[in-house]
Amino acid sequence: MVRKQGKGFKFAVLTAVAGLALTACGGAGVDDAASTTETGAAEACGSYSIAMHAWVGYTASAQVVTEVAKAAGCTIEQVTLEEAGVTYDAMEAGTIDVVIEDWGGGRWQDWVDRGAVVEVGDNGNVGLIGMYVPAWMAEEYPDITDSANLNKYADLFVTDESKGKGAWYEGPPGYTTIGEKMVEANGLNFTIISTGSEQALIDVFTKAAADKTPALGYFYEPQNFLAKVALARVNFPANDWTDTAEASGLTDYPSSPLIKLASKKLMDANDPFTRIIKNFKWTNDDQNGVAADIEGGMTPEEAAKKWIAANQATADGWVK
Amino acid sequence: MSDEVLGTSNRREIKRGWIFAGILVAWFGLSKIFSGKYTYELAVPQNTTFTNFVGEIAKSIRGNRTDGAAFKYFFNPIRQFIDGFVTLIRETISVPTTGSSIPLIGWFGVIALIGFIVFAIANARTAILAVTLTFACGALGLWSHSMDTLAMTIAAVFLSLVIGIPVGIWAGRSDFALRLVTPILDLAQILPTLVYLAPLALFFLIGPASATIATMVYSIPIAIRLTAFGIRGVAKGPVEASISMGSTGGQTLTKVQLPIAKKTIVLGVNQTVMAALSFVVIAALIGAPGLGKPVIEALIIRNVGEGFVAGFAVVFLAIMLDRSTTAAVVKQNTFVPPSPAQQKRRKIALFATGGAAIVSVFLSRQLAWAAYFPEQINFSEPIAHAADSAVKWVTSTFSFFTEGLIKFVTVGILNPLEALLSNSPWFLTVAAIALISLLVGGFRSAIVTLVVLFLIVGSGLWFDTMITLAQTLVATLLTMVIGVSIGIWVGRSQRAERFIRPIMDAGQVLPAFVYLIPMLGFFGPARFTAIATGIVYSIPVVVKIVGQGIRDVPVTMIEAAVSSGSTTRQLITKVQLPAAKNSLLLATNQGLIFVLAVVVIGGFVGAGGLGYLVILGSSKPDLQGKGLVAGFAILLLGIMIDRMAQFAVRRNSAPRH
Repeated sequence: MVRKQGKGFKFAVLTAVAGLALTACGGAGVDDAASTTETGAAEACGSYSIAMHAWVGYTASAQVVTEVAKAAGCTIEQVTLEEAGVTYDAMEAGTIDVVIEDWGGGRWQDWVDRGAVVEVGDNGNVGLIGMYVPAWMAEEYPDITDSANLNKYADLFVTDESKGKGAWYEGPPGYTTIGEKMVEANGLNFTIISTGSEQALIDVFTKAAADKTPALGYFYEPQNFLAKVALARVNFPANDWTDTAEASGLTDYPSSPLIKLASKKLMDANDPFTRIIKNFKWTNDDQNGVAADIEGGMTPEEAAKKWIAANQATADGWVK
Repeated sequence: MSDEVLGTSNRREIKRGWIFAGILVAWFGLSKIFSGKYTYELAVPQNTTFTNFVGEIAKSIRGNRTDGAAFKYFFNPIRQFIDGFVTLIRETISVPTTGSSIPLIGWFGVIALIGFIVFAIANARTAILAVTLTFACGALGLWSHSMDTLAMTIAAVFLSLVIGIPVGIWAGRSDFALRLVTPILDLAQILPTLVYLAPLALFFLIGPASATIATMVYSIPIAIRLTAFGIRGVAKGPVEASISMGSTGGQTLTKVQLPIAKKTIVLGVNQTVMAALSFVVIAALIGAPGLGKPVIEALIIRNVGEGFVAGFAVVFLAIMLDRSTTAAVVKQNTFVPPSPAQQKRRKIALFATGGAAIVSVFLSRQLAWAAYFPEQINFSEPIAHAADSAVKWVTSTFSFFTEGLIKFVTVGILNPLEALLSNSPWFLTVAAIALISLLVGGFRSAIVTLVVLFLIVGSGLWFDTMITLAQTLVATLLTMVIGVSIGIWVGRSQRAERFIRPIMDAGQVLPAFVYLIPMLGFFGPARFTAIATGIVYSIPVVVKIVGQGIRDVPVTMIEAAVSSGSTTRQLITKVQLPAAKNSLLLATNQGLIFVLAVVVIGGFVGAGGLGYLVILGSSKPDLQGKGLVAGFAILLLGIMIDRMAQFAVRRNSAPRH
């Protein structure tokens, strides 16, 4: 069967392959053109990966950092991954260099101890997770925002999925969630239902607000959605998080500064990107503004560039 | 032909039916009495001693990854080698090389090269198709993601073949080897993909290496199986003749067995490529670069349009690779030797296309337009928009239907079944399932079932396993109802087959994640979303098997029935379906395995159960052990289902008295 194609076949293919190999090894002309335009750029910057987590606020922060870094001559790859363990492992493996917003209060300690991950400090955003009901419920049942009264209204929240108890829409698996502990510690008559995504939570609340149906679900700020659909936070007994072991059996989410993490490799490199990550800091309003633009239909890149153009001095300050 | 045989077997069936009903009634009654007792329910954040133990092991493996001997001398070198290999291919076609702004070959060169390669291994028509489809991936705005996926696929397929073909040859020539590899291959085939991602990442870390190895776990068995099958398919005559003429074993292999088996082996390459491609998307969960990234991203922020666009690119690549390798197979089959004139013409064409490819590669390194895929050519937005509005329209227009359907399936079937399985005392459920297994598959089947169920009980995740089992059973039931109906139609009509075939093929290459996205939009975060996705994923395989089974019913049997005055309905229910019973059992088995693989992915969209625990385990360090154990429980569930069906098939095919 090989013979039927003859030696000509093999020869032709071999010649072509050899030719290709030779061609591919020559210098790339496009780079000469590119490098001449950029010779003014000051300091060399390496190539890094930034973890992309799946909420729009994170996208806003990460995209702004990416654009500032690209302008400073760094090569940035964005890698979508679940939060926490998976990402810290990737940082240890050297495939991820930055987490720009981590909510998880110290869960990275193991990796820090091994020297794989470095805690860089807070990014200026303050996160507050909580359990929310649509605003119309708070008007109709004013005492529902006190967790002690939730059982009284549990019947309202029953669905086909919730096994005769109230449905408690929990955050996606990758998020920081303590719903099961809250239900247990407060003796609530609710079943936890995992939603799977930020968008699914938004769907739940959008529907509940529009159709005036009851819903109890996980939400958080900074999140631009809170400006669009009114939700009321349900207050649980306050919680002392200084002792995590003690707190783990209790009750409500604390408000917490959001943390930047970096790989050891990036911290050691000490190049422009290292400085950008160390210096990056902005407010919840900044993030919500960019997030609103993204939700309004801009690409993350456009939205980030718009913010940078309006805050050029701040962005320049991060690189120094 | 065998009225009497059919008669006894019918009576036997009826008797079994009564026993089955009896078991269900007893199970149901007892479960009502003991409802909620001894259910072994374990709250999500809770660990058992065993899951804690597994978690500690995982933690110590983590801590050992830089200094441990096993890592230093075994895992890390493998990882570095594969990482290097993948990087090499990626730097050739998809990511910029160090110090450059483009890969070794720019987009124009890559397309020209694909055209040349496909022309060389297949023909001009296929080459044009391949070029068009590759260009289309770029036109979707996903050039570098598509090339990353192609690079990952090439790497995984190459390594799979390097391992798979020699092992396949060995298993083809030695019965001992075949007996050795068969159970491993069987296991690999029923292993739901979500299950082995976490353990692999534990040893090979998150990144391209883990993703490549995970893909290989999925694709190597296919390469081994088809190679062994090809070698074994070679008739005894040529082999014996070769040996009698004094050939050594090596000579017999290279001069006789391999050339004759070449067609099957090339088919194996085709199947390996398709398997690898369909896996690279899921592998994005452990850091595989490529099209999986936009797909997973779209799933997480539920961006239907973006998910579809990326899904299209996957399908384009799939068609491109499938047609190219299939055309190569067909070419292996042409036995008419080309005339000298044809040969000469082809030689000239090869030189011409080869030369054009060289020039294109050169251009793609020198000129900007050939180096960077033109940004003006980007149809992603209109396509995303169209997909988005289509799904929105369907959601709002048919909401009365979808809501009714969800209600019916959830309240009418799923909730009672879930209560029966998970809310009964565990020993009652174990006994009932074992009895059913005895009834369906016989004594040995019951033993396997018992062992598996006790292992699950021992793992501490009994309750969650039953939640997953309930969803799997409901999804399979609905799959069978739909799939068998379409299968009968397809099996009885050539026209239906031609109509359905392309849809089914597309369904099989489209990664489940892609349609999980609109499903989440249709049905919201609920168990039904997982069930619906499982149904869509597994229908093609059921239709294929049932259709084939119906077609294989002997014509004489059908003619006899028709001449004795059977109506079409009688023909289907009394002749074709009973005669195709083995196909039905096989279809059920495959349906169950396919559904299980996808239902666990439903953990992403609120379906709970074992899949949710696997996903949680990968992001919550304190639940890592529990996640790993949950993966193991999924595997056990798969084994139990598979064995039960296999025993049933064997029993059905055995001669009766």
